[in-house]
Amino acid sequence: MSEDTPGVRRAWGWTAHLLEGGTTPWHDWIEEGAPRGRYLPGAQQLELLRRLNATGRPGVGLAGRVLDASAPGRGRPDLELEGAVERLAFGPPPVDPARLPDDELIRVAANVLAEDVVAAGLPDQRHQARPRLWRTKYRLVGDPVLADPMRAALVAQGRPPGGRGSTVLVLGTDAGTMLTHAWTAGSLADGAPAWRDWLAGRARGRALPRRVDLLRTARAWAERVGPERVRVVLDAAEVPRLVGVRRPLPGPHPLSADATDLARRVGQVLGLLASPGRKRALVHQALLPRLVAVGGPPLVVPPEHADWLHARAVRVRDGLLRAGYAVHGDPDRLLPVERAGVPEPSDAGVLALAMRLLLEPGEK
Amino acid sequence: MSKRVLLHVGTPKTGTSYLQDVLFRNRRTLAGHDILYPADRFDAHFLAALDLMRLPWGGLESEAVGAWDALAEQVRHHRGTSIISHEILATASRAQAGRALESLGHGAGAEVHLMLSVRDLVRQIPAEWQENVKHRASLTYGAFLDQIRDPQRQSRIATWFWGVQELPDILNRWGHDLPPERIHLVTVPPAGGPQRLLWKRFSLAFGLDGIDLELEGERSNPSLGAPETALVRRINRAANRELNPADYRPLVRELLAHQTLSRRTRSPRLALPPDAHPWVGEITRSWISEIERRGYDVVGDLHDLDGAPPVVRYADPDHPSEKQVAAAALDAVKALLLEGARLRQSEERLRRELEETQRALERSYLRPTYRWREKLVRRLQTGATGRGLLKAYRRLRGRSSRAA
Repeated sequence: MSEDTPGVRRAWGWTAHLLEGGTTPWHDWIEEGAPRGRYLPGAQQLELLRRLNATGRPGVGLAGRVLDASAPGRGRPDLELEGAVERLAFGPPPVDPARLPDDELIRVAANVLAEDVVAAGLPDQRHQARPRLWRTKYRLVGDPVLADPMRAALVAQGRPPGGRGSTVLVLGTDAGTMLTHAWTAGSLADGAPAWRDWLAGRARGRALPRRVDLLRTARAWAERVGPERVRVVLDAAEVPRLVGVRRPLPGPHPLSADATDLARRVGQVLGLLASPGRKRALVHQALLPRLVAVGGPPLVVPPEHADWLHARAVRVRDGLLRAGYAVHGDPDRLLPVERAGVPEPSDAGVLALAMRLLLEPGEK
Repeated sequence: MSKRVLLHVGTPKTGTSYLQDVLFRNRRTLAGHDILYPADRFDAHFLAALDLMRLPWGGLESEAVGAWDALAEQVRHHRGTSIISHEILATASRAQAGRALESLGHGAGAEVHLMLSVRDLVRQIPAEWQENVKHRASLTYGAFLDQIRDPQRQSRIATWFWGVQELPDILNRWGHDLPPERIHLVTVPPAGGPQRLLWKRFSLAFGLDGIDLELEGERSNPSLGAPETALVRRINRAANRELNPADYRPLVRELLAHQTLSRRTRSPRLALPPDAHPWVGEITRSWISEIERRGYDVVGDLHDLDGAPPVVRYADPDHPSEKQVAAAALDAVKALLLEGARLRQSEERLRRELEETQRALERSYLRPTYRWREKLVRRLQTGATGRGLLKAYRRLRGRSSRAA
């Protein structure tokens, strides 16, 4: 039980104010209040609730869940309010919640958002056509952000990949976009480090990640099925013709840099709330559509990585041509190009997005 | 509802692996004394802790979904004493601790006792760095010490270290709602003391005295010397990017660190740098004074936390003797060669088994009925009528299969 001191009573007063929708910062708060629980909520939780109040109107249920939520994973523990308790000889120092970095608030928000995603469950399954007997046999590999939505659309049309004699289509685009796609795919799947850390690792090795290294992928498939059945596709518009459909296939989900980072953080918590298969389904079918709907600038590779990336793209292009694979589209499309976007997600943007999703109608 | 729940929440490197191994292997014996250790696998309580604290752990967390609630349910349904033990629980937040206590029946009739095994920081600090290195970390000992000495404690290393080691804070988070007589500290005796003294303290604290338990443990978390830890850190730096966590665990942590390098007991031991002793001494004195003031039950001696004086010849793992590192590396190479040879033999055996299976399959194809059917199919395929018949047959067979 928290001790009964003027500082603690002031903290309880602030807690009550926030639960009633207040937005006054902690350092401006003076009124005391009665205890509302066995212990004071942490500074991160209280500040997140204050920001939610400043942004919208969180319901009573959401406010309570925010105050009860601990930040998941490793990181700073729930912190005490500066001025509410004395600085002891042990324990992390109390803080002014207004000065907490956004990253601390995102950890709590991601926890609550993951619970929301699990509670909302999966949308109704789309009708999947029965596999057609006569269909072009194909496999779509390469850049997962390009290939996954196309493959899903083809499966829904009764054209699942695989089968004897399949042509392997290795999908790709410019190396910079593929690099961001590799991080995006990792963030949506098994989890990935933060973009900066992940990119620093790639830059040290000056190598493309395996999943978007088209030369490596093409070689691996050529060894399995023979080079004559491997085609490198650098023009996504060519894919429908190559898989025997007339209608265009969907492109990659237009996910902003901030949305990708939020998906990464929420996905980490989802890994502890759902089995791997269900987690994947929840990320792709429940969370992703909400993030896509928000929009925002996409992620691009910062200019300081241009040199090594260009050199690597040239090696991949030359290697593919030397090996003699059929290439659909201009091979120079592999070279990095300047695109509009942001060089990294911003914590402020990720937090704003997380709060927006938490406050969306229908969320408790 | 359990009448009594003994909840052991840490700290790491205090003989917890041995205790958990004894409890796990003696589950039946304990059950005969109405003591429940609810675990169907050795790491069941670890998984439950990951679930409670929503802590990702290199992919293992996918096995932890719902593990805490399942564990707590077993405890609630048991009518005697239940024991839960995992050292990473030490880092739980107040909210997580509150949820855990409530789920175990605290406030609803169960008598929950908090158990905390504790060891001096003089040994804990180098042990925690070593544990980080055995979990793929590549930071130097110096960098580790700098991070944990930073008063702001904002780095991941520092928050984790103090989260699992700062005794008064752990007791605040877990024990703020429990009377002091239900909070028990088991101190780890100084190095070189009588064997089994720690077990005797555990046994006393957990009420296991008088129960005939099999104590020859299979699991422990053995320590490495300074050059061996330096070697593993260098291996991490060199191999981390290419070695998957699923391969790192058996090859580096188990094979190299635990099974090979920990046997090199004559190398200089990891120690607290002499210049860090005054800082550690000050912290320890404040902890002891705080714990004495709170009046918890202490099994052992709180002054065990004082730790040993500075070592005379300090071996800095950031500047190890290269000769000693090379000797350790030789042992590591030998272990990897032997493991490689074992895997080659295993691969060869599997290849032979596969060949035998293929031959057996071929023999079964050579049975007269198979040959007759094969002959018939070949003949039918030569003509349009035959192909039509075959197609109709396969369609019918397919439908039958689907219907089944």
